Amino acid sequence: MEKLSQVRHPDRKYNLGRGKVEELAEFVQIRGAEIVIFYNRLSTTQIHNISEICGCRVIDRFQLILEIFAKRATTHRSKLQVELAKLKYELPRARATVSLLKKEEKAGFMGLGGYEDSYEQDLKKRISRIEKELKSAEIDDEALRVYRRKQGLSLISLAGYTNAGKSTLFNTLVKENAITMDMPFTTLVPMTRALDLGGRKALLTDTVGFIEELPHWLVDAFKSTLDGIFLSDIILLVVDVSENPELVRQKLDTCHDTLWDRIGGVPIITVLNKIDLISSEALEALLDKIGHLAPNYVFVSAKEGTWLPELKDEIRQHLPEWESCTLSLPNSSEGMSVLSWLYEEGIVHKVDYGERILVDYEARTEIIYRAKAFEMELAE
Amino acid sequence: MWDIIAIDISGRHRIRDGYYLVCAAAALSVSADHIEKIKQVAILPRWLKGKEIKAPQLPDIVQLIEDTVAKLDYDGTLVTEKGDLYNQPLWVSESMFSGAFKYQESMAERRAIELAHHISLSARNLLLKELNIEAGQ
Repeated sequence: MEKLSQVRHPDRKYNLGRGKVEELAEFVQIRGAEIVIFYNRLSTTQIHNISEICGCRVIDRFQLILEIFAKRATTHRSKLQVELAKLKYELPRARATVSLLKKEEKAGFMGLGGYEDSYEQDLKKRISRIEKELKSAEIDDEALRVYRRKQGLSLISLAGYTNAGKSTLFNTLVKENAITMDMPFTTLVPMTRALDLGGRKALLTDTVGFIEELPHWLVDAFKSTLDGIFLSDIILLVVDVSENPELVRQKLDTCHDTLWDRIGGVPIITVLNKIDLISSEALEALLDKIGHLAPNYVFVSAKEGTWLPELKDEIRQHLPEWESCTLSLPNSSEGMSVLSWLYEEGIVHKVDYGERILVDYEARTEIIYRAKAFEMELAE
Repeated sequence: MWDIIAIDISGRHRIRDGYYLVCAAAALSVSADHIEKIKQVAILPRWLKGKEIKAPQLPDIVQLIEDTVAKLDYDGTLVTEKGDLYNQPLWVSESMFSGAFKYQESMAERRAIELAHHISLSARNLLLKELNIEAGQ
């Protein structure tokens, strides 16, 4: 693999200068490269011009991201999201694409005509169909979120740069076997599992990772997936601390950029992962560099399963507050059945069985109200 | 917590007589994800008048920021959006200011810039109206 970079302003025709493109073509020939990947965004004409000179396929980093996404998409919904992202990427380029294809007399473009318009219209129609379908999935998600919150379940999301170890942490926390790999975008379909936090029930969701300069059309296309993060009660921002400190800072910067305007006041816990791979001195130096980007940080090693109780403590501290009360129930079968319901809905701190059953209880407000109503009902 | 001064400048587009820039500087204490305290806000308008004047140059922007910050009673690291300094690399921008300088990174810094942006934009709109400066494009 070769790497080529240019300092001056991008050239309109090739992005790189003409001389650099020729240098690139030489690299391609020497190495027998099948593909050239540009970090910068390329226009359709630039892609066409460069591939003419290099004689191989040329893509930019956004197309690369889309190709990785397309490979990883397994469910109907994620396939639709990838297709939507592709179409949104393609739409502004539709006219230029058709013009170039017509120039080369490719099959399907037999003569002059309004192909540019019709191709663009086709894309728009397909985009609108997919958006409609995804919108209905979004409504279902919202209804599910409301239902889960009503059930007293707090929603916690794992967020972070791609390949930070979110799925590994997810597996360790909920004892699940989600697929984990040392490669970006292993998770495209969010996975949710129950998480026990010492009596408080929560749902933990593993989500798609972020990437630098996440294009807005990609965020739009994956809105229904990313909403899982933006609309949760707590966000666990997972960071791989074993990397170069400057890279860690850049990745955190990207995460803050993606999250800041969309999450409102949702608390963030920064999970500094992979601490088994870093010395304490290096960790201290890293914290100096990234402290201002790491709210409520905790250390863990998801792979080794260390420091997890500390992480769970931190999560508990940020869960929506529950109320506490003392209830007095009759020591009868009705009283016992209410007690059993109390165990299901909240945390029973203490029970004294005497003439009456005295319960120190903690639960969300609605449950406390209902418990008090039962208490009064049974007292009558 | 960290002390920062969030900066934003409105009015980089030409109006009839030149460029009417308004710089807002807000002195704040921030944590990683929240603005903890807003301590003071300073606003400074500046006319770059004349037909010969093209777009405001980097030294004009730096001088305007320095002059606005001088009106504050609090210290802090200056924080701006990269675009406000024409996307200059950090080492270039850093070297032009007398105090500590950085581009926005954390959520709190981004929120602080948003606050400064609303202040500078509203102040400029108000000044244009009150001083009867015609915004003829």
